[in-house]
Amino acid sequence: MLDIFDLTVRYRTSGGELEALSSISISAKKGTTLALVGESGSGKSTVALAAMGLLPQEAQIIGGTVRFDGHDLGAMSVEERRRLRGSRLGLVFQDPFSVLNPSLTIGSQVGESLIHHRGYTPREAFERAIGLLDEVGILNPKAVANAYPHELSGGMRQRAIIAGALAPEPDLLILDEPTTALDVTIEAQIIELLEQLRARRGLTMLFISHNLGVVRRVADEVAVLYAGQIIEHGATEDVLHRPMHPYAKGLLAAIPRIGSKQLRLASIPGRLPDLRKPPSGCRFAERCPFASESSTQPQTMRMVGGRGVRCANAELVESTPWPTPEATATQAPPRSEQSPVVSVRALDKTFRIGGGVTLEGWRLRRNETLLKPVDDITLDIRRGEVLGLVGESGSGKTTLGRTILRLIDPDSGEIRIGDELVSGKPQRELERMRRTAQIVFQNPDSSLNPRKTVGELLARPIRRFGLATTERMPTRVRELLDMVRLPSHYANRYPHQMSGGEKQRVGIARALATEPRFIVCDEPVSALDVSVQAAIVNLLADLRDQLGVAYLFISHDIGVVAHLSDRIAVMQHGKLVEIGDADAILNHPRHPYTIKLLSAVPRVDARSTSAGSGPPPLQ
Amino acid sequence: MTAFIARRLFFIVLVLVAVSMLVFGITALLPANVAYLILGPFAPPDQVRALEIKLGLTDPIWQQYLRWASSFLTGNLGESTLMNRPIGPMLTEAVGRSLMLTGASFVLIAVIGVGLGIVAALRHGKPLDHGVSIGTYLGIAVPEFFWAIIVILVFAAWLGWLPASGYEAPSEGLWIWLKHLIAPTITLVFGHLAHVSRLTRSSMIEVLQSPYVTAARAKGLPEHVVVLRHALRNALLPTITALALDFGRLMGGIVVVETIFAYPGLGRLIVFSIQNRDLPTLQAAILVVAAIYAAANLVADLLYARFNPKIRYGRNVS
Amino acid sequence: MSAEVSTTVVDEKPPARGWPLQLKIGLLLTGTIVLLSLLAPSIAPHPWDTVSMRTRFLPPGPTYWLGTDEYGRDVLSRLLMGGRLSIAMGLGATIVSLLVGVPMGLAAGYFRGWVDETLMRLADVLMAVPPIMLGLLVLAVTPPSLWKTALAVGFVYIPLIARITRSVTLTLANEEFIQAARARSESNWYILFREILPNAWPPLLVEASLRVTYAILLGSALSFLGLGAQPPSSDWGLMIAEARSFIDRAPWIALAPGLAMCLLVIGINLLGDGLRERLDPRLKTRIGKR
Repeated sequence: MLDIFDLTVRYRTSGGELEALSSISISAKKGTTLALVGESGSGKSTVALAAMGLLPQEAQIIGGTVRFDGHDLGAMSVEERRRLRGSRLGLVFQDPFSVLNPSLTIGSQVGESLIHHRGYTPREAFERAIGLLDEVGILNPKAVANAYPHELSGGMRQRAIIAGALAPEPDLLILDEPTTALDVTIEAQIIELLEQLRARRGLTMLFISHNLGVVRRVADEVAVLYAGQIIEHGATEDVLHRPMHPYAKGLLAAIPRIGSKQLRLASIPGRLPDLRKPPSGCRFAERCPFASESSTQPQTMRMVGGRGVRCANAELVESTPWPTPEATATQAPPRSEQSPVVSVRALDKTFRIGGGVTLEGWRLRRNETLLKPVDDITLDIRRGEVLGLVGESGSGKTTLGRTILRLIDPDSGEIRIGDELVSGKPQRELERMRRTAQIVFQNPDSSLNPRKTVGELLARPIRRFGLATTERMPTRVRELLDMVRLPSHYANRYPHQMSGGEKQRVGIARALATEPRFIVCDEPVSALDVSVQAAIVNLLADLRDQLGVAYLFISHDIGVVAHLSDRIAVMQHGKLVEIGDADAILNHPRHPYTIKLLSAVPRVDARSTSAGSGPPPLQ
Repeated sequence: MTAFIARRLFFIVLVLVAVSMLVFGITALLPANVAYLILGPFAPPDQVRALEIKLGLTDPIWQQYLRWASSFLTGNLGESTLMNRPIGPMLTEAVGRSLMLTGASFVLIAVIGVGLGIVAALRHGKPLDHGVSIGTYLGIAVPEFFWAIIVILVFAAWLGWLPASGYEAPSEGLWIWLKHLIAPTITLVFGHLAHVSRLTRSSMIEVLQSPYVTAARAKGLPEHVVVLRHALRNALLPTITALALDFGRLMGGIVVVETIFAYPGLGRLIVFSIQNRDLPTLQAAILVVAAIYAAANLVADLLYARFNPKIRYGRNVS
Repeated sequence: MSAEVSTTVVDEKPPARGWPLQLKIGLLLTGTIVLLSLLAPSIAPHPWDTVSMRTRFLPPGPTYWLGTDEYGRDVLSRLLMGGRLSIAMGLGATIVSLLVGVPMGLAAGYFRGWVDETLMRLADVLMAVPPIMLGLLVLAVTPPSLWKTALAVGFVYIPLIARITRSVTLTLANEEFIQAARARSESNWYILFREILPNAWPPLLVEASLRVTYAILLGSALSFLGLGAQPPSSDWGLMIAEARSFIDRAPWIALAPGLAMCLLVIGINLLGDGLRERLDPRLKTRIGKR
C-alpha cells in the first residue's frame, strides 16, 4: 500500500545542511500496521510529512521515491497529490490541541473533506460527520458536532480528528504520535478505537511513536529509526522481544517495567550524533558497548533471520544483553521503623478560577469555578524513603508537591517537615525548612536560569544559606558536580550548552546544594527520552542510597514510579485514593481507579494472546 | 453577550471618568497661572485676582473638578475663554468634520492595509512580499507631517490637482467638498497603512504555519479553501484589535494633518486652543477624543467576540 | 551510569549564526547618522545660525551641499545640529519611559493581584488618549522647550513599556527557575532583579529600540507644532515646520530634514528587527522537532 524506497531528506538550517533521513526504505502491506519507532531527533515525523507530501519549505528530498498503491507521489502534480491526500490518505497529528481550527465547529471540520473529495453538500457532510463522531465513540455526537474545539477535552479532540481523517474512507492512515499528549487511560481508549477501526475497515496504518508499549499493542511490524536511519526492521514480536541491533537492545533495556523490580536500569550513554556532519561509520558506534573495528565502516541493512538489521556484529552480540549497572551503595536499612521526615495532615487547597461577572436579569453574579487540586490529603514520608505519587494530568500531583514545600500556601491542614511545623509560618520564617526540603523540576529548559553558568547556579544556594566560605565555594561546586557525575569543567557552562539529561543533573545538584533531607521530584524525567531517563532514574536511586534523602517522586509514568518507589500514592481529582507499599499497590490494587490506571499502562513485555512461544521477556 | 457589552460599557465609563480627572488634573497642576496666561505676564494683580475668582480658581481643586464635571454631564460644556463662545456647538461641528476625514481614511486603510498584508503573506519570501516589506519600513519611518508636505508638494504645487489647504462645506458643491478632503485623507492613509499591513502579514504568516492549517492541507483541501476558510478567519482576529488601535492613532494624526491642511476639525481646534491657552475648550476636546477612541475599542471588542468562539460562548460540552 | 556524559562531551555552542542583514544595514544607517550628528560642531561646513540675506534660498550646490534656507543659513549644518537635538530627544524620552515603565511592569507582572490591577488600570487610562494629545496636554500650559518635550514624550510611552515589561515578566515568572529561587527563600528583590530582569532585557532592548523611533516621530511632530525646540536652534521637526511656507519655492529645505529623519527611523527599525531575530528564542526553535 505504502512503499517508501531509499528516501533521503535534508533540511536547510542556519548551521548547515542537516540530513534528517538517510536512505529510508519501509513498506506497509495492505491491512497491516507498520510502526516507526525512535527517540526525538530520529527523523520519524519527517517520514510522516514526506509520505503525505507535506514537507516544509526548508526540507528537500535528495533522493528516493514514495509510492502509494503503486503511484509515485514524486511524479504526481501538486493537484493530483492534493486529491490523493484527501481521499485515500489520512493523517492524525500528535497534538490534538492545535490541529483543530479554533474558529470552526467540530462537525464542519470532520465532514469537510467529503465536500471537496466526495461531492457532498455542506449539510450532508455535517450529517455524515455526526455519524463518524458516533463511530469513534463520542457519546453525544450531535452536540459535539456543533461545538468548538476549545469546548472539548484532549481525548475527545483526538477522537474527532480521527473521525475527520476517516471521513473520506481512506485506505491508509498515518498517525504521528497520536496518544503522546494524552493520559494513559485515554491513550488506552484511543488505541482500542484504532484496533476496532482497523478490523472493521481493513485500514493500513503507519504508526509513529516513541512509546514501545503502545507500539507492541498496535503494530504488526516495527521499524526502529536512529539518527535518520532504519537500524532494525521486523515483526513486532521479534524486534521487541529479541532485538538484534545494539541500539534496539539498549532502548528496550532502558524501559522500566512494572512487576520486575530491578535495582538499576540499563541506560545508553552519549547522545545523537550531529546530523549536520554525520559520522562516516556506524552512527551508533560512539554509544555502543559492542562496537568493534567493523563499526568504523558504514553499516548496511542486512537480512538476519527474517528481519533487517543495520549492524555487522548483529549475530555476534545477539545473545549478549545490554549491560546493566550495579547499585553503587548498599541499600539503607529498612525504612519502616524510622520517624517520618515529612508528615502532612488533612491538607486542603482550593483555587478560584475565572473571576468575571455576568448579569442575570439585573443582578450581578460572579462566575467562579472552584477547583480543589489538594483535597484532604494525609501522608507521611519516612527518612530515605521514596514515595511515588501517580495520577493523570489535572489530578493535583504538582500542586500537592508545591503546597508541601509552601511554594503554594495551603488553605488548611498541617505540614510538618523534620520536627518543624511549617504550615502556619509566614514565608520569611521558612529558611530552615527551605534548607531541609528542596525540589527538582520537570522541564530542565525552564528550571535553570539561562543567563547563569552552572557554577553560579550551584553556588547561589550554598551562599544563600551560608554553607561554605567563598574560598571553599569552588571545591563545594566541584563536589556537587561530582555527585551528579558531571565533569568539573561544566561549572563554566551555560544551560544551553548542555543536553537535556545534563541539565536535569544540574537541577538535581542544585537541589542537593543545601544538603536537604527531603526532595520533591516533580516529573523529573518526563521531558527526557527513554535512554536518558534511565540514567537520571539511576542517579536518583544512587543518591537516595548514599545520602539517605527522601523523595516525593511525582510522575504520570507508572513504570518509572514502580521502579523507584518504596511506597506509592495514587491521586485522582485532588484526593488520595490509595496509598501503600509499592508491591501491594502494583500487584493487588484495591481502589477501582488504581486498577483502571494500572490496566491502561501499555507494557512492552506483555504478549499478545495470538503470539506463539518465545524466550521469556527481558529482565 | 449582553453581559459582555454591559461589562465593557461600565469599564468605558470608568476610564472616561479617570481620563477627565487626568485631563483636569494635568491642566490644573502644572506650574502655570491660568489667569496670567490669559491676561499676559504684565497684567495688574487686581485684574488677575478678579479673573481667578471669576474662573473659580481660588477654590480647592476637587471643587473645581466637581463643578466642571457636573456641568459637563448636564451637557453644558462651558464657554471658550478665548472666543467667548459656547464650546458645545463649536465642538460638535469640529467632531463631525474630523470623523468625516478619519472615517474615510480608516476605510481605505482597513481595505488596502489588510489586502496588502494578506497578499504579502501568501507570497511569503517572494519579490512581492519583499516589496511590501520595504514599503512598510518606509511607511513607518515617514512622519505624517512629512507625508503632508510631500502630498502638498506633489498634488498641489507640482500637479495643481488639489487645493493645498482649507475646507468647503458639502453645500458648496460635492466636488469642491471632496477635493478639499482628498489631500488630508491621502496623507493619513500613507501615514497609517504600514502598521496594519505589517501586522496582517505577520499574523497571516503565523497562522499559515500553524498545525491546523497543515492539517487542512493534509485533508487535501483546495488551496483557496485552506486560505479563506481556515487561515483568514483566525489571522484577522489580531488585525481587528490593531485596527481599533489604529483608529486611535488616526485621532492623534488629525492634530498634525488638520493643522497643516488648515482643515477646521477637532485636531485643529485642539492645537488652536493650546496656542491660545483656551483650557476649557482643550479639556472638552480631549475628553471627546477619549470617548470616540473608547467607542472604537468597544466596537473592536464586539467584533473580536463575534469572530472568536472562545469568547462567544461560555458553555462546555463533554 | 556516569557513561552518559563521559564518552561524548560535545562542546555544543549555539551554531555561529551570522548577523542578520537587517541588523547590519540598521547598524550602518543608525551609526552613520548618530556619528555625524555627534560630530556636528566640528564637521559642519558652515556656521548653523549665521543669518545672511545674500545667500537666501540657494539651491543645493558645491558651496552649500544642501542649499540654504530663508535666512541664508546652510541647510546641511542646520541638519547636523538639528540631528543632535532630535536624537537626544528620542533617547531622553525612551530613557524616561524605561526608567518608570520597566519597574512598573516588573512589579505588576511579578506580584499580580492588586498591584497589577492598579498599575494596569492606570496604564489603561493613560492609553485612552492618543499619545500626541496626551503630549499636547502636558505641554499645553508650560512654555515649550526641548527637554520638556522629551519628558512629555517619555511620559506618554510609560504605559506601553510597562505593559510590555509586564507580559515578559508574566512569562518569566512562570518559569521553574523562579520557583527554584522561591524554594531557597530568595527575596522578591533578588528574584525581580537577579533572576527575572537579566532574562527580560533582550526583548525589552528590542522594544526600546523601536520605541526610540516612536519617540523621535512624536517628538518631532510636537516640535513641528511649535511645542519643542525653540528658534533659532531647531530640531528636524521644527526645520520642516519652518520650511513649510517655502515648499514650492525651495523644497530642499523641508526635504533634507524629512529624508534624514526617515533614514534614521528606518535604520533604528531595521536594527530593532534584526536584534529581535537574533534574540527571539522562538525563531531558534521554529524548525524544532522533526
